[in-house]
Amino acid sequence: MALLEVEGLCVNYGAVSAVRDVSLSVAAGEIVTLIGANGAGKTSILRAVSKLVTPRAGVLRFDGRDVTGLPPEVLVRLGMAHSPEGRQVLARQSVGDNLELGAYVRNDRAAIAKDMERMFELFPRLSERRKQSAGTLSGGEQQMLAIARALMSRPRLLLLDEPSLGLAPILVSEIFEIIAGLGAMGTTILLVEQNARLAMRVAARTYVVESGGIVLEGPSAELAADERVTKAYLG
Amino acid sequence: MDFAWLLQSLLNGLSIGSVYAVFALGYTLVFSILGIINFAHGAVFTLGAYLTYALAVGRFGINGLLSDLSLPLTLPFPAALLVGALLSGLAGMAVERLAFKPLRRRGADPLLALVSSLGVALIVVNLIQYLVGAEIYSFPSDIFGDLPMAVIFSVGGKPVAVRTIQIILFAASMVMLAGLGWFIGRTRGGKALRATAENADTASLLGISVNRFILGTFFISGLLGGLSGTLIGVSFGIAGPYFGVSYGLKGLAVIVLGGLGSIPGAVLGGLVIGLGEAFLPPDMSSYKEAVAFVLLFAILLVRPQGLLGGRLEQKV
Ligand SMILES: Nc1ncnc2c1ncn2[C@@H]1O[C@H](COP(=O)(O)OP(=O)(O)OP(=O)(O)O)[C@@H](O)[C@H]1O
Ligand SMILES: [Mg+2]
Repeated sequence: MALLEVEGLCVNYGAVSAVRDVSLSVAAGEIVTLIGANGAGKTSILRAVSKLVTPRAGVLRFDGRDVTGLPPEVLVRLGMAHSPEGRQVLARQSVGDNLELGAYVRNDRAAIAKDMERMFELFPRLSERRKQSAGTLSGGEQQMLAIARALMSRPRLLLLDEPSLGLAPILVSEIFEIIAGLGAMGTTILLVEQNARLAMRVAARTYVVESGGIVLEGPSAELAADERVTKAYLG
Repeated sequence: MDFAWLLQSLLNGLSIGSVYAVFALGYTLVFSILGIINFAHGAVFTLGAYLTYALAVGRFGINGLLSDLSLPLTLPFPAALLVGALLSGLAGMAVERLAFKPLRRRGADPLLALVSSLGVALIVVNLIQYLVGAEIYSFPSDIFGDLPMAVIFSVGGKPVAVRTIQIILFAASMVMLAGLGWFIGRTRGGKALRATAENADTASLLGISVNRFILGTFFISGLLGGLSGTLIGVSFGIAGPYFGVSYGLKGLAVIVLGGLGSIPGAVLGGLVIGLGEAFLPPDMSSYKEAVAFVLLFAILLVRPQGLLGGRLEQKV
C-alpha cells in the first residue's frame, strides 16, 4: 500500500488555478520525483500535501488514513516532514536550535541528541557552525540545514522542494548523494527538482508536471529514454 | 539640586518605569508574533485594574448597572492581584479570538486587525462605564494589611520615602520580566514561540501549533496588561474607564522609543520614560504626561529605529 496517496488535487490562488486534478502516490521506501518547468505547479503540490495551502479539492491519504482535513502541525506528528522551497531556516536562531526545533514533535531526548550528532556527521559543515545563527550561513549551508532539520523529526515521508537550488555544482552532487543515501536507508522521499537528470537518477519513479497537471508518469529509467522528456527536460 | 531629591527621583523612576516596561511588553509580544499593534491592550489594562479592585474590595462601586451588586467574598490583595491578572489574560485571549483570528483566517490585510482591536477596546471601555460608572476609584489604604505605607530614611538630613506600593511595583515587574526572559530565552516553548514569530509557515512545518502559540501570547500579554493596570491603579487610583487610554499611548511611546518588537527595548524604553518623568523638576510637574512624547521625539531624531531596534531596512 502506498504511504502517500493524492487523488484529484486542485490548488487555487485566488482566481488563479495552479494545480488541476493531480493524482499521485508514493510507496513506503520509495523515492519519487516531480519534474517540470518553472511555474508548472510542483511547489504548489508539495505545499498542498503538507497543508501549507488548503487544497480546493482532492483527497490526501497518509498511510491509508484520510488526512485531507488535518493542519500541517498534525501531519508532522503523523510523520510527514517538508523541507520547503527557498531554504526556510529560522535565520535568527542558532544552527543547533534549528535542529532541535526540527525534533519539536519528539520527546525522546536521548535519541534526539543522538540524531543531532548524526546530522553533524552527515553535514560536517553544520557541525562547525552549530552555535552560529542560521541567517549567517551560506546558501548551500542553509539548504543542508533545512534538510537536516526536516530529518530531525524522523519522518516517514520527506518532502524535499528543490534541495539543489542555487548550489555550486560540487554541492549539488553532494546533496544528491545524501538523498540517495537516505533512500538506501529506507526513507520515503517525494522530491521536487529543476535538475531533472540528477533527480531521475535517484528516484525510482518520475511524474512530469506541466501547467498544473501531470502529463507523464512512470519508472524513471523508462521516462529518461522517452523523447518527450529528453527534449524538454534533459536537453 | 540635592542628593536626597536625586535619590528619591531615581527610586520613583525605577518603580514606575518598571511597570511601564511590563505593560509595554504586552504590546511587544503581540507585535513580534503578528507584526501588528494590539490597540485593545490599554483596555485590558483598565479591565485588570477594575477586576482586581472588585475582587479585593468585594463590590463594584457607587454607580452603573452593578452598583448594588457585591461579591460574596473578598480576596486578600496578593490573591486578588493574581486572579485579576489571570482574568485579564483570559480577556487577552478573547481579544485574539474576536479581533485577530477571524481576520487572520480569512487572510485579510494584517492592518485591518488594528481597526478591529481598536473596536474591541471601545466596546470594553464603554462596557466598563455602563457597568460600574465613570467615577475615580481608589484602593483602600489598608490593602497591604500590616505592612507600613512607606519606608522613610534620611539622606544628608533630608527624608527619602519608598512607598510599599513602589517596592511591590518594582518587585512584581522584575519577577514578570525575569520569568518572561527565562521562558523565551531558555525553554523549548520559548524557542517555538520565537520560531512562530519569525516565520509562522516554517513553524507549522516543524509541528508547532501556531494558533495555540498566538493564543498563549495574547494570554501573557493580557496578564501583563492587567497586572500593570492594577499596580498603577493601586499607586495612583483608577481614573475611570478611560484610565487605560493615556497609559496605552504612553505604552506605545515606550515600545517605539525602545525599538519596535524588541523585548530588551521595551524594558529599556519603560525605564527611560519612568526616569524621565521622575526627574522632571517639581515646578514643571504639570508637563509630566508630555515627557514620554518629548523623549520619543528626541530619540527618534537621533535613532529612527528606537534605542534597541534593529536597522529599519531589516524590518521592511
Ligand atoms: N502565493 C501565490 N499566489 C498566487 N499565485 C501563485 C502563488 N504561488 C504560486 N503561484 C502561481 O502558481 C503557479 C505554480 O507555482 P509553483 O510555485 O507551484 O510552481 P513550481 O513548479 O514550483 O515552479 P518553480 O520551478 O519555479 O519553483 C505559478 O503560475 C505561480 O505564479
Ligand atoms: Mg517551486
